[in-house]
Amino acid sequence: MSKIQLSVTGGKGGTGKSFVATNLAVLLAEKHDVLLADLDLEAPNDHVLLGIDNLGNKEDIRIFLPFIDYKKCTLCGICAKICDTGAIFMPPKNPPIVFPRLCSGCKACYYACPYGAIIEGGHVIAHSYLTIIKKFNVMFRLLTGILRPGEEHVPPGLAIIKRKARELAKEILLIDTGAGAGSSISIALQYSDLVIAVTEPTPLGLHDLKSILEVVNGLGYRVWVIINRYGLGPIDDHLKIMKMYGVEKYFKIPYSMDAVESYIRGIPVVVYNRDSIVSKSFYNIYQVLEDEIL
Amino acid sequence: MSSSDLIEIVIASGKGGVGKSTIAASLAIILRNSGYRVTAIDADAEAPNLHLVLGIDRWDRVIEYHEGRIGSIRDDKCIYCGYCYDSCAFNAVEEKDGKYIINPWICEGCFTCSFVCPVKAISFKYNVLAGHIRIAYKTPYKFPLVSSKIKPGRPNSGKLVTEAKNLGRSISGGKGVIIVDAAAGIGCQVIASLAGSHMAILVAEPTPASFSDLRRIHKITKHFGIPSALIVNKYDLNKVFVQEIMRYAEKENIELLGLLPYDHAVPRSMAINKPVIYAYPNSSVVKSIIETSNKLLAILRNWENWKLKHIPEKIEPFIPIIIKPGS
Repeated sequence: MSKIQLSVTGGKGGTGKSFVATNLAVLLAEKHDVLLADLDLEAPNDHVLLGIDNLGNKEDIRIFLPFIDYKKCTLCGICAKICDTGAIFMPPKNPPIVFPRLCSGCKACYYACPYGAIIEGGHVIAHSYLTIIKKFNVMFRLLTGILRPGEEHVPPGLAIIKRKARELAKEILLIDTGAGAGSSISIALQYSDLVIAVTEPTPLGLHDLKSILEVVNGLGYRVWVIINRYGLGPIDDHLKIMKMYGVEKYFKIPYSMDAVESYIRGIPVVVYNRDSIVSKSFYNIYQVLEDEIL
Repeated sequence: MSSSDLIEIVIASGKGGVGKSTIAASLAIILRNSGYRVTAIDADAEAPNLHLVLGIDRWDRVIEYHEGRIGSIRDDKCIYCGYCYDSCAFNAVEEKDGKYIINPWICEGCFTCSFVCPVKAISFKYNVLAGHIRIAYKTPYKFPLVSSKIKPGRPNSGKLVTEAKNLGRSISGGKGVIIVDAAAGIGCQVIASLAGSHMAILVAEPTPASFSDLRRIHKITKHFGIPSALIVNKYDLNKVFVQEIMRYAEKENIELLGLLPYDHAVPRSMAINKPVIYAYPNSSVVKSIIETSNKLLAILRNWENWKLKHIPEKIEPFIPIIIKPGS
């Protein structure tokens, strides 16, 4: 069986990415092996929405950090020049000083040093957790990436966790990205078979939908849209933008307190209230996924 | 007025979509109407929305922001050794139909792949257009707006936020209040927003997810030693959970500025591109926003005292986890 990668994103924060990802995970897990990967390292919430207090199998996410071999260093300063993040500082007539927090672990300094004076060390910027979820009458795995508060460089940590997710996935890799439309979102979306962009019927949702669709188009992936909280405002302009960016399909999830109640209780709405209009929207999305993608 | 010439206030939340931009716009307008000199900065470069909440659609000045490089592999030189693929810390090198390509939506241009390439098949486009800083000097609100916008798919939005902030500071003339609308999350954009600021207004909604992110963002404000206040938005979604958030705030010496109700006036005002305080001045949410702003105004009048009382007692040190070579 070949692996399928579905990615839930949206541009704007709080449109319901994690809400959609957790509900789809539960529905998909009835028939398939699902790995849900929470790649919102800055604000990971899938486990909260699933009511999971204890995450399992903690691992360090370690990136490269340069150390200086003072015996070999000639004070040439090339390492400081090649560094894009200002992590290597060259004091006059002294060997370089490394600021770990600024370092993105790209390793350019290591290769650029003509004297082999940079030695490989490491820096833990995040942690990953692999939790087996046995709840709601289904079983699936949740991979969660959590940035250490105070660390700045999301992309290299995300890249490692994404590789891990691709290795661990057996049948369906369901990815939940963070907010935004920068390069870290591209890393989360990379290799998607289908991107599902979640938006809301406000000009803010529209504005950020456009940014994320630009990224998805650039990456060349298929894309569907979910308009969450449908009914809050007009969607005419959303539909125009979606047409412009070749969105294949779109779905509406009506605005309803059922969604909020389930969200607060840490129970996916498709489990909490099976008859809710919100749950019905999810069954529909699930069925279309089943028919057309899986 | 306060004894400090310039007070920089950052609106942050960790979680997205809890109402940062709506609150930032409302506070900026009310502070301006109360006589403060105000500069507004949209520091959410990947999803800048403050101008939409303010209904601003024309910029007086747009500055191009160039940063970073994008690599590409010359297929006629490539020997398909895969060293570049193995060495990229950002997963930017992809293998496609037996060939290696660099994904321009991921590549930061760090040069690592070109160092490991044995045949020098990789070249770079330099000084890539990575975003814009937009400025509206003249707005209906009598304060300028500086808005950062990263080009979708570009890295290092934090650097752009720092540029936008510096520009905003110089426009402010070092006087009055700067309102910074931060991005979701706790990464480089948010750290750039908080660096050098005087006060953080944290926004949360009464959901476990928002509470979890509130605690994460508060860790960052503590790292920076920035005194924090709290606004709970949509508090009536779950009044029990609000109590839990309020207990946390009290324990952590975060001043509660106000509770705002959920109100359809907010999305309705967005749909007509008008700040809610002008679109629906009699709505319940606007009444609460005004009460909240009054509390903020009182803090600003009594700034030095308030600051001393609310600076985090123990600045939470940030200790990177470092692994020495060979271990």
